[in-house]
Amino acid sequence: MPSFVNESFLWWGLPLVGVPVLIHLINLMRHRRVPWAAMEFLLASQKRHQKSILFKQLLLLLLRMLAVAAVVLMVAQPLVRNQWGALFGGSKTHHIVLLDDSFSMSDHWADTSAFDQARAVVTRLAAQAAHQDTPQIFTLFRFSRARRLSRGTQPDLLGVALDADFTAHLEKVLGPLTPSQTAADPQDALDAVDRLPPKPADEDRIIYLVSDFRANQWQEPTGLRKSLHQLDEAGAQIHLINCVDAVHENLAIASLRPGSGTRAAGVPLLAEVSVRNFGASDARGVSVSLEEDGHARPAIVFEELPAGKLITRRFPVLFATAGEHEIVARLQTDAVTADNARSLVLEVPKTVDVLIVDGEAKAQDAFFLSTALAPGGKVTSGLRPQVESPRYLRDHALDGFESIYLLNIARLEPAEIGALESYVKAGGGLGIFMGELSRADFFNEQLYRGGEGLFPLPLAGPAELVVDRLEKAPDLEVTDHPIFAVFAGERNSFLNTVTVSRYFAAQKDWNPAPDSSTRVIARLRNKAPFAVEHKFGEGHVVAVLTKASPLETSLGSWNNWGRDNPSYVVAMLEMQSYLSSSRHPDTSRLVGTPLDVPVDEAKFLPQVRFVLPRDAGGGTLTVDATTTTNPAQAPVTHPPAANDTATAPVEPRADHNAVLADTDASGIYQAQLTGTDGSQRIERFAFNVVSEEGDLHKLDAEQLASRLEGVRYEFHQAADIDYNPQQLAGFNLSESLLYCLIAILLGEQVLAYACSYHPSAKGSTR
Amino acid sequence: MPASKRFLHPEAIGRISRLDLRARHIVEGFLSGIHRSPYFGQSVEFLQHREYTPGDDLRHVDWKVWAKQDRYYVKQFEEDTNLRATLLVDVSGSMRYGSGPLDKYEYGCTIAASLAYLLLRQQDAVGCVAFDDAVRVKVPQRTKRSHLNSIVQALAASEPREKTEMLSLLRAAVEAYPRRGLMILVSDLLVERTGLFKGLKLLRQHGHDVIVFHVMDDQELDFSFNGPTRFEGLELSERLACNPRALREGYLQALGAYLDEVRRGCARDGVDYVQLRTSQPLDAALAAFLSSRQGRLRD
Repeated sequence: MPSFVNESFLWWGLPLVGVPVLIHLINLMRHRRVPWAAMEFLLASQKRHQKSILFKQLLLLLLRMLAVAAVVLMVAQPLVRNQWGALFGGSKTHHIVLLDDSFSMSDHWADTSAFDQARAVVTRLAAQAAHQDTPQIFTLFRFSRARRLSRGTQPDLLGVALDADFTAHLEKVLGPLTPSQTAADPQDALDAVDRLPPKPADEDRIIYLVSDFRANQWQEPTGLRKSLHQLDEAGAQIHLINCVDAVHENLAIASLRPGSGTRAAGVPLLAEVSVRNFGASDARGVSVSLEEDGHARPAIVFEELPAGKLITRRFPVLFATAGEHEIVARLQTDAVTADNARSLVLEVPKTVDVLIVDGEAKAQDAFFLSTALAPGGKVTSGLRPQVESPRYLRDHALDGFESIYLLNIARLEPAEIGALESYVKAGGGLGIFMGELSRADFFNEQLYRGGEGLFPLPLAGPAELVVDRLEKAPDLEVTDHPIFAVFAGERNSFLNTVTVSRYFAAQKDWNPAPDSSTRVIARLRNKAPFAVEHKFGEGHVVAVLTKASPLETSLGSWNNWGRDNPSYVVAMLEMQSYLSSSRHPDTSRLVGTPLDVPVDEAKFLPQVRFVLPRDAGGGTLTVDATTTTNPAQAPVTHPPAANDTATAPVEPRADHNAVLADTDASGIYQAQLTGTDGSQRIERFAFNVVSEEGDLHKLDAEQLASRLEGVRYEFHQAADIDYNPQQLAGFNLSESLLYCLIAILLGEQVLAYACSYHPSAKGSTR
Repeated sequence: MPASKRFLHPEAIGRISRLDLRARHIVEGFLSGIHRSPYFGQSVEFLQHREYTPGDDLRHVDWKVWAKQDRYYVKQFEEDTNLRATLLVDVSGSMRYGSGPLDKYEYGCTIAASLAYLLLRQQDAVGCVAFDDAVRVKVPQRTKRSHLNSIVQALAASEPREKTEMLSLLRAAVEAYPRRGLMILVSDLLVERTGLFKGLKLLRQHGHDVIVFHVMDDQELDFSFNGPTRFEGLELSERLACNPRALREGYLQALGAYLDEVRRGCARDGVDYVQLRTSQPLDAALAAFLSSRQGRLRD
């Protein structure tokens, strides 16, 4: 049934339809009396045309009634429900709006943005619902909030009845909303709908997914399709509303991370910044500005960024003091600003401890290695080698060492092996050099253990590399492994002058399994493995199958690497960087991930003061640490994208944790802990966006349909949901009624003319 | 306004006086020597000269004038016929209807009075009968000009009433005026057609020259009523409440059929038929009729 804009007029206007009948009746009573002579002809005419006259008069009366009715209806303005209006026919309608506030919705063009469009759509939907006669209730989820519903966060609006004040209330809710910097997924929102109370029998549910439908979020739509299908099966109507109609150019800082090298005060470190061009055209002269602890440093210019490509540049950083330091990289403004900045927090110690265990009492090999790692004098590598005997492994904690080296080991006690394995599993790096004391049996049985142990390969025993006097090929052939990457491209590398005389040969026919983490990173001239890498737990083990020093042994000299060859020092420092890399996971986190700060209540007060980054308002928030016994409350990390190496670190679980749930803004968060003795401890955490969210490529209706095959839904453009408030409930028939009225009046005139007498100008000629 | 002036419009009489009324057929005259008779010679009183036009009778060329002026002129004479005319004026109820200044009764009486004056001025004998379903007033035929007053007074005294019974009336007229003469019937002819035609035929059979002035009101011919109207019969007892616009077409069809029937009936019996509208100028109607009569005499 249509509704009316001026319904009150309808009720007092409809009786006017009877006015023509009334006029007719009055005219019947107001007959003019005419004495008439020629009754004969009049009676004949009346007898002959009685039926047709009655029919015409009734038709004329009907037309006049219709004309009055058309005028009344035209003023009342009937509204016929369109496809939107037709949705509101149930006894009670629950509108569930899922609002995408991922940072790709900040995509802006002209004087609007995708999020502005989405807000306008929500406003119009609510206004439309408010005009319905049946009870209407409204629920609004933002994607970023939907993800946290399980942690007690409430939707922006939940089951709010639409009344006269609702529009103003909605404006208050929507007004302050801005796109978050999360990569919130539609799946989170759909999961949140599942957590709503079950649908009552007398309730119609309409779900509006207001989003930008970026291709990267719908690449694997299995889960989305399943969720939408379930909602469809449950009787909900699904409307997908697209707020973006064009793809805009966008650049994003994909990563900012420290490069290989020793992180220590006063030691230069290479950092890497990667920029991806998500646009369709190449970008040139892209400048990335850098800040170190708030101080600007020279920008990096990417001369060319091909469309769709990721380009990485290295830049040196140097922190003079120990402690936490910040690095921030920023791009110029483009369509999406959230992915134009990335930050990094580096923990830089004063020195880095390295444990060198030498199986020989004189520790001659350790001398060469420690000298390479820490040459002393004015040159500082930031490393502090500590040479110990194997027994040290058993008697001391190893966690404090950045890496451990085993040199010329004859054998180790099981406790020592166990301590080493624990250390490496937890992320420690272990370098192993062979020597004259080394025994293949021990290595195979205790350290290799059929591939289960620390050592990466089974050994056959010491072997001699025969000198080839005819062919002047270098003894070492290295791969592009990070340890040797520094030598790549050198035309006269010092590595070529390394001579290897003896080595421990791998067992015959041994080759690393293709699916294992073991790989040969350097071979000898005879293709025998020279250096083999193996991942054990979280840590790395690198085995060099020759002696660490060039000294003469009972078996003779093993190599000349450590003598007068600069490549030895370089290779050892690179190996140290590589082995210690797993001890320094990227501490940056993804926005939206709760910040979970362990608080040792024996040392710190339970109140933790969080200082929010500038993008989050820059305020502070004090959170009480609570006991974390519920595994569900553990921080949930968002799955990192393929090129995003940012992962949440595995924090040691403390009895008490201070959790900052709302980390929807990128930047550096500070957690200020107050010690029981009044001291202050500040921990910094870098939160960055998921750079892939900046990929603005979107799906069109056909692509979406192919991904959601089997799901009943309607796809709309935001602009299509555009009607004025008077047409909210449907199409206004006033204009059509005007045309009908004109047609009726024309018909009435024609019929009246046919039924009436119209004397000609000349009069009758009879 | 005196009764004579009521029906004699001065401008109408002035125009009619220039024309001669000639009987289509020669009737008996009793004033011999003045009028050419179908039985005896002729008597001509010179009226005026008129320039000769081809077709004029050469006997009327005035040769004396030709001898003097060398131009041909014909002599015109005032040529009267001794005529007995009887005015039959319908004063039935239906004649009371009128939508204009004159109702049919007044219009018909005006015609009758005008013709009476004209005839009396020619020394013709004029009588008058007013009738409805019976003869109401009867004025004998006289030739005196003062006789006009008798006729006019008789017409004025005859208020319309009752229905028209044409056959008995015409039969009575034949019996009352057995000598051949001119019968002028002034009526709206809203009568039973069979009786009408029988009566007219009877008149013709007795040698009367008959002229029918069919007086109709404009509304009766055009039926231009608007709005709900209740028609009440003047002679009939029927009443009809209707929308006249809706009935107009059928009414006009029926009326047209009636008029055709009357015209055909009159033509069949050799009766001159003249339809007059009450809005039509009286002089124009009489002039048209007299011109027609004169033309037919020449034939």
